[in-house]
Amino acid sequence: MTLILAGALVLLLGAALVLALRDNHQRAWAAIASQSVATVLVLARVLPVLLGGGDFRRSAAWSYPVDLIAVHLDPLGAFFLAWSLPMTLLGTVYAFGYLRPWFKTRNAGVQFALLNVTSLSFVMIYTLESAFAFLLGWEIAAVAAWLLVVWDYRNQKVRFAGFNYLVSTHIGLFFLLAAFMVMHSQTGSMDFQQFEAFLRVPSSLRDVTFVLLVTAFGLKSAFFPFHTWLPRAHAAAPAHVSALMSGVIHKAGLFGLLRFTLLLGTPDAWMGWYVIGFSALSALMGALYTTSQRDLKRLLGYSSTENVGIAGIGFGVGYLGLAWHQPALVALGFTGGILHLLNHAFFKCLLFYAAGAVYRSTHSVDLERLGGLARRMPWTAGLFLLGGLAISGLPPFNGFISEFLIYGGLVNEAAPAGIERGTFIAAAALLAFVGGVSALAMTRAFGLVFLGTARDPAVHCDGEVTAWMRLPMLAHAAGLLALGLLPGLGLALVDRPVRLFLAGASGAGPAATLEAARLLDPVQRVALLLLLVLAALFLLRRWLLRGAPAPRHVTWGCGYVGATPRMQYTGASFSAQFAGVFSTVLQQRRRERLPSGPFPGAGDLLQTQSIDVVEHRMLEAIGDGDNLVVRLARRIPVEPRFSLAAGLVVVVVVVGMLVTGAGGGR
Amino acid sequence: MTPLVTLAHLAALLLLPVPMVGVINRTKALWAGRKGPRLLQGFSDLRRLLRKRPVYSAVTTGLFAAGPLVLLATTLVSGLLAPLLGGFAPLSFPYDFVVFAYLWGLGRIFLMISALDTGSSFEGMGASREATYAALLEPALFLAFGTLAAATGTTSFAGLLDVGFGSPAQAVTSLGTLLTLFIVLQVETARVPVDDPATHLELTMVHEVMVLDHSGPDLAAVQYASAMKLTLCAALIAGLLNPVRAAGAPALAVAVNLVLTFGVAVAVGFVESLVARLKLKVIPQYVLVGGVSAAVALLATAWMQGGSR
Repeated sequence: MTLILAGALVLLLGAALVLALRDNHQRAWAAIASQSVATVLVLARVLPVLLGGGDFRRSAAWSYPVDLIAVHLDPLGAFFLAWSLPMTLLGTVYAFGYLRPWFKTRNAGVQFALLNVTSLSFVMIYTLESAFAFLLGWEIAAVAAWLLVVWDYRNQKVRFAGFNYLVSTHIGLFFLLAAFMVMHSQTGSMDFQQFEAFLRVPSSLRDVTFVLLVTAFGLKSAFFPFHTWLPRAHAAAPAHVSALMSGVIHKAGLFGLLRFTLLLGTPDAWMGWYVIGFSALSALMGALYTTSQRDLKRLLGYSSTENVGIAGIGFGVGYLGLAWHQPALVALGFTGGILHLLNHAFFKCLLFYAAGAVYRSTHSVDLERLGGLARRMPWTAGLFLLGGLAISGLPPFNGFISEFLIYGGLVNEAAPAGIERGTFIAAAALLAFVGGVSALAMTRAFGLVFLGTARDPAVHCDGEVTAWMRLPMLAHAAGLLALGLLPGLGLALVDRPVRLFLAGASGAGPAATLEAARLLDPVQRVALLLLLVLAALFLLRRWLLRGAPAPRHVTWGCGYVGATPRMQYTGASFSAQFAGVFSTVLQQRRRERLPSGPFPGAGDLLQTQSIDVVEHRMLEAIGDGDNLVVRLARRIPVEPRFSLAAGLVVVVVVVGMLVTGAGGGR
Repeated sequence: MTPLVTLAHLAALLLLPVPMVGVINRTKALWAGRKGPRLLQGFSDLRRLLRKRPVYSAVTTGLFAAGPLVLLATTLVSGLLAPLLGGFAPLSFPYDFVVFAYLWGLGRIFLMISALDTGSSFEGMGASREATYAALLEPALFLAFGTLAAATGTTSFAGLLDVGFGSPAQAVTSLGTLLTLFIVLQVETARVPVDDPATHLELTMVHEVMVLDHSGPDLAAVQYASAMKLTLCAALIAGLLNPVRAAGAPALAVAVNLVLTFGVAVAVGFVESLVARLKLKVIPQYVLVGGVSAAVALLATAWMQGGSR
């Protein structure tokens, strides 16, 4: 515990030092140095717990509002700390490169100090177990993230995105406060350990608390339909902040969900279905929105909603495993879900860093204006492709490993035959759909930004970014490859946390913990085989093409020779057919003044912009809800369709009241 | 025994694709009243392509040449997972069908990337269509595999296809997944009514338009991989229909499976001769038919098993 406390102090002193120093380079170095020291200190304490198990508690009494400060280090918190701090450090290194153009004109000290504070908030959230102190860490993380987002505060859009985030995250806080108040009223304590006594006993109040908690943590992790703040904030923030928010900071929400899952004991089956439904919806809607975005960082933001959804499906499977007393489901669901969090942190940070590199080099993240960057920025292109393949869940990369385990949980004999198993298989099909959609979105993003030729002559590429920005990308890519090709590594990291959940499952023998390893062993062999076959084919091709080098020619344009870069396929056209199939959610706002007559004049245009229907509808319902209802009601007597529907509703309500009334009367 | 079967599987995987395409073309030729090319014409075509020197567009990067290689490699490895000869696969493990489907996904994404690498709007068009249909097809495929897993109580490919037609519910399951797999075959390997491998109008093509710029050994790899995918899909359908179980009479089971596989090729040829191509706008709906039929199969299985509880 002393080590962790020392780490927290170093972070705090580092932040103070950063603010005190005069030169931006010194400030950056101070932040990097203090975070390195703190990371080493914390990891020295955390890794033994993560790999060897253990459960450490300390508590100190305090006066009234705080009540008690309980520190608790168990493998779950250790798991989150073990990668949150190093990744924040890498983000700080990246920021050193990313913010450098501003070093002469602006004080970057606030950014670096806030990165330290973010690390500090991780230490607080993942180790503190009393409500007040936990909420303090929670708030520090939220406010620090907000201040990091509004770096470019002169831009009105950025300020708006920042406030949007601040408001949303505080709505989540209210739900969390409500849940804590319920639990405090029932136990008279602020300590999570005391909450357990209340949460373990099934009651309707427990159900309410559960829904409040899922809503609060879902808002933090940007689950659908609470995601609307996220694409805005990610598009507005500097790249390292987007990466850390999406990959690391928002994982705190899922940590909260897991922490309270442990306190729940055996959840009811409906809770599992609730989590699965909520997550499946997030995965689906997040994936659909990724297909039609024009802004690369916005696209990646939506993909966060998708990926927390995928992890959530894993958690839901684990919940149901606990409810049905099936250790295999518990092991596969939680291993897959928790591993997916880690995997997502690796590839999402990588993708955001690559997007930031594109921005640094071209000053644009607009898919329709970029193109052909692969030749100018080969490192960034290759790393983005790697991240894109991993995020689409393709083998032999790390995203596949966790999704494979979740599939293993969904298509499993352990689910009760009949409706339950059928629903699980439908969820597996949905996961497959999400994978396919995300492959579409990533191909589109990669193809438009890095392949072909530049679409807009006004965009200039300054070439490859500095080593300061490439180094964090390479580190994340290395982690991604290691977790993909050596699944045992990831399993070793999540083994102890998963055992906490298995301890709650009745009848879990030692076999259950080995379930995931048993499934992944052949997958690893197939991955190696794939690489071998690929190498063999590569050599074969080289042998076939020995001799003179292949001639170069223009791209085949069906005989048309006047092709210009503007004639390339655009992002809007790439996703047009897919968006057409899902037009109810993927709506477009069109602005058009189409050419007409034999001599069309200048100034004709066609502009399409994809909008977030959910946000749109939500605002519409809040601002104009009464009118919507009135307009709907007016149509009832006029249109037969609506009259019939209204009549049916009345019949169902009346019959329902009669039936339930008759049941209640007995 | 096992090494021998593995060798037979490998030989079938490498050699069958060419005659399969030959059978389809011969069927179409006979329907059209032509004589048609030799059944093994494909080997000559591939040899011709392999000896040619490729031409690359000046726009392309190294990814352009990597696309066909990854496609072929993933198809080859996926071929080792699927029961090509009925009831047996050299690599068999729990949830191998997930790996199978995702390997195809990896090959597909690389083909799309190499198409986008040329900067050609035609090839972008093809990649966009391929990505759209693939995204819609993926859930249908998983519904079909998941249903089969629930119906047979196994989780690896080798046992997955042993549903049979014993009871009405099993028959519905078999037929539903069979239809799904047939649609998967048509979409994945670009057959009529989704795509016409014989057409050369860039605006209407899906698969072929993505490889407009590929030539020489690269084109050979794409064509060979496509034929191999066709063979694998046909073998899966044959496995569903195969009444002989490998455990009882292995040789007979293999023979029946091979005959049925070629039967599927004849069926593909029939469809191509008798049905016109669908409009591009209708294809997503056609792909959804595959999903719906798998969903019907899933409901039948859930009903059957829920009733026995």
